[in-house]
Amino acid sequence: MYKFILPLRYFLKRRITHLAAAAVALCVFIVVVVMTVMNGLVSEFKDKNHDFVGDCIVGTDSLVGFCYYEDFLSELQKHKFVQAASPVVKGFGLLTQPGTGQNIGVEIIGIEPVGFCEATKFAQTLYYHKDKPSDVFSPTYNPALAGCVVGIDMISGSRDGAGKYHHGPEPLQIELMIICFPLTARGALAKAGTDLVNSKTVYYSDDSHTGLVKVDARTIYLEFKLARELLGMAGATPRASAIHIKFAEGTRLKAGVGKIKKMWNDFAETYADRQYANLLKNVTVQSWLDYRRGSIAPMEKEQTMLILLFAMLGIITVFIIFVVFYMIISHKSKDIGILKSVGVSRIAVLQLFVVFAALVGTVGALTGAGAGCVFLAKINDMEDWLFERFGWQLWDRTVYAIGDIPNDIEWQVLAVIIGAAVLAALAGAFFPGLRGSSKQPVEVLQVSQL
Amino acid sequence: MHNSIGIRRILNDNYNFFSTEQSMKQLSLFLCLKYLGGKKILLLSIAAVAMSCALLITVSSLFTGFIGAIENSADEHLGDIVIGAPAAMTISKYDRLISSLEASDYIEAATAVLSGQGLLHLGKGTGDVRAARIWGIEPASRSKVTPFANLLIKHKNGTEPPTLTAADDTDGIAGFVGIGVVARPDDVTDEYDFKQVNASIGRRVFLTTGTRELKPKTIKFAIADVVFSGVHEFDKDFVYLPIDVLADKLYPSQGKVADMIQIRLSDGASPESALAVVRGIWRNFAQKELGWSNYAILLTKINTSRQMQAKLLAEYKKQMGMLMLIFGVVSAGVVLLIFCIFYLIVITKQKDIAVVKSCGLSSASVGTLFLVFGFVTGFIGSGLGVVIGYLFTKNVNYVERLISVVFGLKLWKSSTYMFTRIPNQVNWESVIWIGVAAVFAAAAGALIPAIAAATVRPVKILRYE
Repeated sequence: MYKFILPLRYFLKRRITHLAAAAVALCVFIVVVVMTVMNGLVSEFKDKNHDFVGDCIVGTDSLVGFCYYEDFLSELQKHKFVQAASPVVKGFGLLTQPGTGQNIGVEIIGIEPVGFCEATKFAQTLYYHKDKPSDVFSPTYNPALAGCVVGIDMISGSRDGAGKYHHGPEPLQIELMIICFPLTARGALAKAGTDLVNSKTVYYSDDSHTGLVKVDARTIYLEFKLARELLGMAGATPRASAIHIKFAEGTRLKAGVGKIKKMWNDFAETYADRQYANLLKNVTVQSWLDYRRGSIAPMEKEQTMLILLFAMLGIITVFIIFVVFYMIISHKSKDIGILKSVGVSRIAVLQLFVVFAALVGTVGALTGAGAGCVFLAKINDMEDWLFERFGWQLWDRTVYAIGDIPNDIEWQVLAVIIGAAVLAALAGAFFPGLRGSSKQPVEVLQVSQL
Repeated sequence: MHNSIGIRRILNDNYNFFSTEQSMKQLSLFLCLKYLGGKKILLLSIAAVAMSCALLITVSSLFTGFIGAIENSADEHLGDIVIGAPAAMTISKYDRLISSLEASDYIEAATAVLSGQGLLHLGKGTGDVRAARIWGIEPASRSKVTPFANLLIKHKNGTEPPTLTAADDTDGIAGFVGIGVVARPDDVTDEYDFKQVNASIGRRVFLTTGTRELKPKTIKFAIADVVFSGVHEFDKDFVYLPIDVLADKLYPSQGKVADMIQIRLSDGASPESALAVVRGIWRNFAQKELGWSNYAILLTKINTSRQMQAKLLAEYKKQMGMLMLIFGVVSAGVVLLIFCIFYLIVITKQKDIAVVKSCGLSSASVGTLFLVFGFVTGFIGSGLGVVIGYLFTKNVNYVERLISVVFGLKLWKSSTYMFTRIPNQVNWESVIWIGVAAVFAAAAGALIPAIAAATVRPVKILRYE
């Protein structure tokens, strides 16, 4: 019992221990707040990437694309673990708005709206056709016109200072011209000898807000067949750039990707003697994480760097606890001497100080975590208040594609932080505890020592 | 008080060599320094101060270096001041405007740019098409405004200004392209393959760009040189063509036109004053030579290149402030640590403090001594921190490369962080304030223990019961 009563008494009576607990609380508070925001940003960014591309991508970086994709699609559809699969063509084009004389280079993504919305969460990124994506390329003001979907950040002035996008009740009739180089299956210009390019007038039908800056600022979505035609991928042996796949619920990502890889290898082998089989060699099968690795990796690295920096600073907390315990134990020689003289073992004395350290660590960690949770719960309100009063935002929403500050607490992360804080407290207290437990009653209870 | 005098008297009676009160004080001081100086735990507080100091200096230097690099890259690429024509308008007779500008003492040189966007096909059978930003330039005048010639891979060390002429099969048209147009940095090392880059020089490529008449125009040109600025934004997709060729394609009936005038100021010219001068010259030129309305003149954007980056820079500065605040708050733990260490010393050395006080050292002297030790700890710690922060910042590119080689982890990529190299300039302004703050923080941590030491009562501590 004394193992619990004494630590409690020390904790309540010795003010210096409150300082150690405060140091732990401060550290935990900052780590909880920063890590929650950072984790939120990273996982939000990952989710956006996942939503944008689906679970698995069979595709090539080459703008020439690859042939026989329809046959592979048929293969995919035979398997139950594949919930949806949709072909996509990708290329670059020049977008011109008549009358403005302004051109911008864009990435063209040609999609079959229904299939693509099944394989990805594209429908959720739309504004006017969220509920009926099949009509996304039919402008509401004139369904007979060829429609297009533009990245939301390509529409100037649609975003206000608070980061909110504004839309009219109907899309505006905006005429756009797309110009692109059609390429042959060998990578040459398909229209060499003529004017080299294909052009087509399309009309704004909707916009897509994926939340991915580079995508929303430079992407135009066209109907699959139209894009294929423009990029020179139509013809007797049509080509596609990628197939986006969504796995059935319960399919593990790694297992699903593994199966698709095997299927693709078998398929490529079967088609090895076909005319354009060389294009199949450039095709890779990747999970969404690998496919978007280039975008996701920098954020993950920054997260890791931040964790390392906080770990370094956490060492200071360990030292504070070390010093505080050293001090307390130096002062509690009499207690140790008395305990040992009545038969308490060295291990038991060490346990006493371990319990004491755990108490300091737990109280500090819980206080810091509690304060962190309260702060996080109010963080967006505080930012709104600061913005209304002083025009100050943590991130300028006209610069960054960030909505609210992420404040969803991941309980696993919180548990890890609390656990790490308690361990840090135990580490800090271990050596002073060991030193204290090895004191001999005969030495510390001498009259001269009293 | 009486006790203290009594002890002094006894000591004076018994030890002849302590013949004066001064010698007693010196002995006390010596003992005190010995107690404090011999404490290994003080090294811990020095290490903590050094670590926090180094961390804050590194973060601040890297951030300010990054912000400075953005400002400099804008200066280098755009000049000091930019006149931007309103949307869908062009500046004709720009030679006269440039002459008027260059006549001013504030301005060293000016150059015209015609900008657009296009689609670049990188030659036969490559299947490589990419979106490109096109600038029509005059290489000779551009070299006076920006260090453009130094950024060219082939003509870097040439004595003559670079030119844009090529073989006949491209109608004599040559262009420069950003290094990112012809090569991709290695995924692991983030370095370009210069063999591949050099091989691309001379290659014939096709550039298509739209016009106001909605008729796409294709320009075939030879790559005369490759521009490598080390700034991803300017390397990734820029194509430079002769301004007259681009003007002829985009605005065939308008002669020589530009939509941007980039200006380099004379040495020592104040940007604010120069901006006023440029605005005056522009207003005069636009009214008299171009016959523009006041509204069109008002719509013309005339800014320093730094003002053009102001919004982005303000965000980076805000982020730096937040990061410094977070690390600063966490570093406040160092103050707690120093407090704990000094308090520990006071508590464990109460008897010694009582002895030296009884030998004649006043309470104020004891307190001051602890405070001075706090300052010294802070001073040594911050000095070490400055050295570590300086060495780390200066060698950050080697450290990054080492991590990349040892762990295969490429932390810095130009495509993510804009620059090929990590800016490694130490921000001495922040070094000074961080260093000074560290010294005072250490002293603040030692303040309460110093008071505790000063209030130690020898009569209470040294009694034997």
